[in-house]
Amino acid sequence: VEAELVAWMTETPWQFDDARFEALALDLFAIQFSECPPYAALCRSLGRTPENVTQFQRIPPVPAGAFKEFPLRCFPEEQTIHRFRTSGTSSDRRGVLELDTLALYEASLLSSLRALWLTDLTGQKPVMRFLAASPEEAPDSSLSHMFGTLAQAEGGEGSGFDLVCGELRLDDLMRAVKQAQAEDKPLCVAGTSFAFVHFLDGTAGDPEVFWRLPAGSRLMETGGFKGKSREIPREALRKALGQRFGLAESHIANQYGMTELGSQFYDSTLIDPRGPRRKLGPPWTRVRLIDPITSEEVEHGEAGLIVIHDLANSGSVAAIQTADLGRHVEVDDGPAGFDVLGRAKGAEARGCSIAVDVMLEASRRTVSARQAQGPTKSGPVEKRS
Amino acid sequence: MSGLEIRWPDESGERVRAARGRLEIAKRALAAWPLEERLAAVAEVLADWTRADSPWRRELAISFAEASPFSLGTVSEGLDAALRAWDPACLIDCARRELAPVLENDTLRLAEFDCTAVLAGGALPMPTLLSSLLPLIVGSPVLLRESSKDRVTASLLARSLAARDERLARAFEFLNFPSSDEVALTAFLEAPCVVATGTGETLASVSSRLTQQQRFVGYGHRFSIGIVGAAQPADLEHFAHGFALDTARWDQSGCLSPVVIYLLGLSAADQLRFASACSDALEALSQDMPPGTRSSEEMSGTATERAEAEMRVASGRGALFAGQSSTVVLEADSQPRPAPLHRFLRLMPVATIADLGSALSPFRGVLSNAAIAGLSEAESAEVGHLTSRHDVSRITKPGRLQTPPVDWPHDGMPLLTPLCRFVQSD
Repeated sequence: VEAELVAWMTETPWQFDDARFEALALDLFAIQFSECPPYAALCRSLGRTPENVTQFQRIPPVPAGAFKEFPLRCFPEEQTIHRFRTSGTSSDRRGVLELDTLALYEASLLSSLRALWLTDLTGQKPVMRFLAASPEEAPDSSLSHMFGTLAQAEGGEGSGFDLVCGELRLDDLMRAVKQAQAEDKPLCVAGTSFAFVHFLDGTAGDPEVFWRLPAGSRLMETGGFKGKSREIPREALRKALGQRFGLAESHIANQYGMTELGSQFYDSTLIDPRGPRRKLGPPWTRVRLIDPITSEEVEHGEAGLIVIHDLANSGSVAAIQTADLGRHVEVDDGPAGFDVLGRAKGAEARGCSIAVDVMLEASRRTVSARQAQGPTKSGPVEKRS
Repeated sequence: MSGLEIRWPDESGERVRAARGRLEIAKRALAAWPLEERLAAVAEVLADWTRADSPWRRELAISFAEASPFSLGTVSEGLDAALRAWDPACLIDCARRELAPVLENDTLRLAEFDCTAVLAGGALPMPTLLSSLLPLIVGSPVLLRESSKDRVTASLLARSLAARDERLARAFEFLNFPSSDEVALTAFLEAPCVVATGTGETLASVSSRLTQQQRFVGYGHRFSIGIVGAAQPADLEHFAHGFALDTARWDQSGCLSPVVIYLLGLSAADQLRFASACSDALEALSQDMPPGTRSSEEMSGTATERAEAEMRVASGRGALFAGQSSTVVLEADSQPRPAPLHRFLRLMPVATIADLGSALSPFRGVLSNAAIAGLSEAESAEVGHLTSRHDVSRITKPGRLQTPPVDWPHDGMPLLTPLCRFVQSD
């Protein structure tokens, strides 16, 4: 399956083939059911096994939070060659994606970046600056790994990382901007949303940091703010970045991804600047939106919880239920996509009670000394419809 | 058409200043009123709200249910239970207790604040009612900024004050303006005494805007817990019903709502029995107290937590009772987990009181009330000490979490003394 997937990932242009996706998804489901005991237990409890699942939509998704609690891998632990960890935005426990090979992971991320973000700059070796920690500094960050892989494969001389020991160092970025302007060559800048907010705040009022990047330059921001900066609505961030870098908003793309996924999704604006902004992904992924009550797929236009079937997750679980809400976006002449509406916040505090993460925020302050208690005896499942 | 556009950028600020001006005049009459008589008058207003056939409470229930996401059944039951637990005689006793130095000692007198600004938060009516009435007892007029989620309670309270005594009515003003209205907020926070309810961030933000000369009384966001021991296994269903009522009230959205119940030393079979009973009771309560409306985000929060629980249960960790209107998760451990609220109850086993202490330690400072049941006398005493060390301000029984008496020391503070100053004359 992995060989077939790598072959698919290296095809250009991309081939969207539903039958091919379904066949590979079902094959992968059978493998993951067989090799990943916690996933198999979930599937059995839902009565959905490779024997009775014949459509990829019926493959049970695991909640993304399960990566914090279970070793969701399809190979023996000793074969793990790399671990990516979530940033721990909602608890002290961090989700872990274990990999026994980076080949598929890197093939997937490079293919998507080339097709949806680099587009015409693929193979041109533009200079890339990353407002993120380097892979050496943050070896368990999937984002740093992605940027490192991209820089190695597609970055020109002068590419590098501008977040060092948690500090934004802008000298190299400023040098790269001046060089790009002098040579009239496009510059690519990518980073976390909160790093861009720090950049905007830290350089506010500095007339030297009010650039006009050469044509073809582009910017990519990703991830949430994670309490590491003030929060800005995505549209406002895009507008502010457009003004500061002198870029059309079509050339500022948001990436939607998560540590638990091998593939990422990008704003459509670089390949379809006239169409509505929407997230697009590679052919080996499918996005379903489900009703939070019934788990059935929502009608087009309605908001639903985002479920991603990502065949690049061959070594863990390919079907993942996120905690994010989304909406399908159809267009007349172009690929359909989806909008990310935000994170499922759980309950807003109506009275003075504490919602969702606040309990965990409280625990984060003092939990370091405390060890999680061992499990006690458990009871059976009882579900009511 | 002249095309002339008249702008009044600080209209809300002007309204705040005008209200402050009116309250300044009202304060003279309020302060001239003997303390005991003022106390009696406020207690009568409270009685108007708490008596069995209170028209104010009835009107509030209907108006509030229409304007809020809660169902009428939940609002009516919640208001009846909470307000009927407020005994006006208890308020009088509490005031006499707290203000005894003034009432019984000629050398001390009360120096009331010229105005108390009350920044209401959340969407439950009870805190708005009480925090508006208390300053009046100590002779300070009240300027209330309504919560954005409750535009009903203040106007009804104003009418009830007017129906009882004109002096009280004149000493109470309410208004609303957005938090982003800096001019209005600045004028509002110039009051010598400020009472605020909100998140830690809100309280810190308000506090940072005040001078050292101003009095600040802040009530933060907290949550309540339950603790069930193994001493009375025959009563588990009874306890479960009480906790289900505490959870269903106000759809679990107040600081008095239980978010987690710790099962202290219960056998696996009893844990399961209790979880099942909680679920049954919650579902039964939804007949008369239907859950309110929820946003997509709120529904998704529940769905996400249910899905994660389902995954754990499939691997033999805990049990999930996913009902139509509620969720009960029996966890296999006592790790902190998110609380999606909206009748989502977690039950966490702990083997010993020491383990309970470890489980509670992350929550020091954010606990409100604790309901305990099924503990031996010795355990009760030990748990009482333990919870008070974690800032729990009231220990009660299942079914009573949401109905504290009027003199409950909210967030561990006395009711009236934080709202006034004492002056001594030698």
